[in-house]
Amino acid sequence: MQRRVAIVGYAQSEYQFDVPRTREDQVFDVVKAALRHAGILREEVDSVVTASSDFLDGRTISNVFLSMAVGAYQKDESKVEEDGTGALLYGLMRILAGTHDVVTVEAHTLASTINPHQILFYALDPLFDRQVGLLNDIAASAIQARMYMKKYSVPEEAVAMVSVKNLANAALNPLTHRKMPDLTVEEVLNSKIYYEPIRELMIPPITDGVCALILASEEKAREITDRPVWIEGVGTCQDHYLRERNLTQLESLQKAAAQAYEMAGIKDPYREIDVFEVSERFAHEELMISEALGLAREGRGQVLIEKGLTGLDGEIPINPSGGALSADPICATGLTRVIEAAKQIREEAENHQILGVTRALAHGQFGICAQKNTVFILGGDR
Amino acid sequence: MAYLKDQRRETMMVEGSWNIGAYRYKGSTQLQEYVDGLKEKKLIGSLCPGCGKVIVQPRNICGRCHRRMDKRMVVSHKGTITCFVISPPIEKGKYKIIGIDPVEAGIIQEGAILVPVFVRFDGADSNINTILLNSSPEQVHIGMRVKAVFVENPEGKLSDLEGVEPLKE
Repeated sequence: MQRRVAIVGYAQSEYQFDVPRTREDQVFDVVKAALRHAGILREEVDSVVTASSDFLDGRTISNVFLSMAVGAYQKDESKVEEDGTGALLYGLMRILAGTHDVVTVEAHTLASTINPHQILFYALDPLFDRQVGLLNDIAASAIQARMYMKKYSVPEEAVAMVSVKNLANAALNPLTHRKMPDLTVEEVLNSKIYYEPIRELMIPPITDGVCALILASEEKAREITDRPVWIEGVGTCQDHYLRERNLTQLESLQKAAAQAYEMAGIKDPYREIDVFEVSERFAHEELMISEALGLAREGRGQVLIEKGLTGLDGEIPINPSGGALSADPICATGLTRVIEAAKQIREEAENHQILGVTRALAHGQFGICAQKNTVFILGGDR
Repeated sequence: MAYLKDQRRETMMVEGSWNIGAYRYKGSTQLQEYVDGLKEKKLIGSLCPGCGKVIVQPRNICGRCHRRMDKRMVVSHKGTITCFVISPPIEKGKYKIIGIDPVEAGIIQEGAILVPVFVRFDGADSNINTILLNSSPEQVHIGMRVKAVFVENPEGKLSDLEGVEPLKE
């Protein structure tokens, strides 16, 4: 990258169900906390990029009433629909373009205002799939899970182990929503069936959440903090729609990761990256994500979880924060991963801190069966 | 020569709906505080501790200062028209306000001309969007002094403030 860009501050809300406060109040508190964490004032921010969904927010042009809370009053402001990693990419581009130096990136979804799965049904093709009426985001992911598990002989237990790991990690993270420190594989496999083979504890709870971070150009970052978290690489890729896609692999994530690795000069992600924060909207997705990120061969993601390599004390910890399975404030989920990765580098993750993290990967996704994927590689000063 | 229109063929279409049901928007205290004020015929605004601006109706966050506006203020019933619009004659079956035809419901007479106004009440730094009563399109002007008109027995509803009328000072 021609210009180096760093994360210099961040904040998250406590992820919960049905937080009894307005969207503006929650966003205000988190943006204010992120500015405080960076130690700067709103006046020093040049541009604001937010991520939310009009349908999840329940209003069109959902940023018009948000501008004051997010600190965008009389500033350059944009909104991206979908995941917060998209907003981060946009913010990064604003700085790389040389026109802005400090950017606030914010993402939120208060999923309890409506059943988000009801909205995702309308992501389906209106001409064919919606006419049948049987498919929705969970059913589509069940199709993906079954195809993947059948093709590579992945046992249900391996998928359940992802939930066990992440929900136990979540118990160490004060901000997250679903914490189950003593969960067992049997309990996951006996939880309520949604669409076979997907069960209640293999999908995230419905969560309200807001997060925000402050980005700065190298020059500004050095002024603001002595612990900048550099964006070393980024990649993003969009896949085919559901029906034309090879559902047993996340090809768009492979491509996004390859781009990010190349930019960051990473040849062997297994050895060169210390911690991974990924957006696994379903337990089986974490196995598929680990393969797409090049941590395991095709279909062998199960080995990582079975051998405990992705646990807190494993060689390649995945989701020490609890991941998306523990809290999924939809548009904020990817940006939360970025913040959690940055926390690991700055050694601010407290109970779920991994020792000696110098480089971390964060992943965000959007769309049915993880259609679109974005990868960020973050690094500290070494 | 045939018209292009005649040669047009209908594209096949399928029925669709966009039924995402009801939202449960998170509530706030500002609206409640405002209507509680109306019940006592008071106009409540919020005060920014940063810039000292008073916003009526109240808002929680000052975008300018990026601060919370937790303090509440009562502003005057008297104010000034900062802007106005003159409606065309209201016809039956032409307008609906929250699903009600005001002419049909007898709220507004057929052919009446309404004057929606922006009023800045004394002590406030923002405009309130309301309606000019007991006046005429000929009389209204920017800078016109007005006072708030409340219903006789306010019940703590937004409709307690009926509008404003000319003030004789």
